[in-house]
Amino acid sequence: MDPFSAWLEATRISTTMRNMTWLWPTCESIHFIGLGLLIGGAGYFDLRLLGFMRRVPVGAAKAFMPWAIAGFAMNFVTGTLFFVMAPHMYVPSAAWWAKVFFIVVAGLNAMFFETTLGTRVMLLGPNEDTPLSFKIVGGVSLFSWFAVLFFGRMLPYIGTGN
Amino acid sequence: MRMAAWLHTLQNSAFSAWVVGSDSIWAYPMILTMHTVGLGIVVGAAVIVDLRLLGVGPGVPLDEVKRLFPIFWVGFFINLVSGVMLFVSEAADKATQPVFLLKLSLIAIGVAVTVRIRRRLFGGGGASILAASGVRTLAMGSLFVWAGAIVAGRLMAYLK
Repeated sequence: MDPFSAWLEATRISTTMRNMTWLWPTCESIHFIGLGLLIGGAGYFDLRLLGFMRRVPVGAAKAFMPWAIAGFAMNFVTGTLFFVMAPHMYVPSAAWWAKVFFIVVAGLNAMFFETTLGTRVMLLGPNEDTPLSFKIVGGVSLFSWFAVLFFGRMLPYIGTGN
Repeated sequence: MRMAAWLHTLQNSAFSAWVVGSDSIWAYPMILTMHTVGLGIVVGAAVIVDLRLLGVGPGVPLDEVKRLFPIFWVGFFINLVSGVMLFVSEAADKATQPVFLLKLSLIAIGVAVTVRIRRRLFGGGGASILAASGVRTLAMGSLFVWAGAIVAGRLMAYLK
């Protein structure tokens, strides 16, 4: 086991949480519900950015984003708990690093949208196609979140550390 | 008894041996991952329909909510196929697992609720259907039933 994982797993917080046998399945259940909220809210907005469902004003399609962010928050917290409980399953895992990479890509993509293109959202009415820049942001987001899901679920099977 | 024998035949088939026994990531891991992709699509689409009916995103025309049902059915098809493959590979064990039967029941209820919501939306009436308390009850019920199906599915790995 790598030294960092060995250290973290020996800490009292990690040991205590591992001893609560119900905690892992509970966090998994929350993690999968969060997944549904995140894919639903973000995916819906992404589809509109890609130019689907044009009768929906782009600004209106964004109304579900707080639910996507809530789903992300649920998964960030439960994901952090998994990591603290069993870091050796993640630190040496190629799938976990790929998952983290795509979370960062999706995050930067969303920040780029909010800080540059986002202000133009409200200028787009219903029945309007989206500019290419919006389509790229929507495509990158949709692809990234499904990549996060893919590498998360494949984590026990690809490049695993144990 | 004949049922049990048939389930064992499924579980002992060459296909099942490949799903659970192969070292290939294209076997069990990929089928399982497709099942999770489908979960995201099914629950994602249902959540948007339900939230819209509960008053989130009032700027989204109700007529446009109908466009989410084909997406829902695509996800459902992915999970029907991947789910049958996962079931067959462990048919005899899963068929008697209470939490699996609970999951199936919740999915059946979830689909029935979704079909009822769809019928209300396609039935016309525009925004007035939102005033009907029955629609809100269906939407709220849908959210809880899908969350329950997810939890039951996850607990299949623990409650043998």
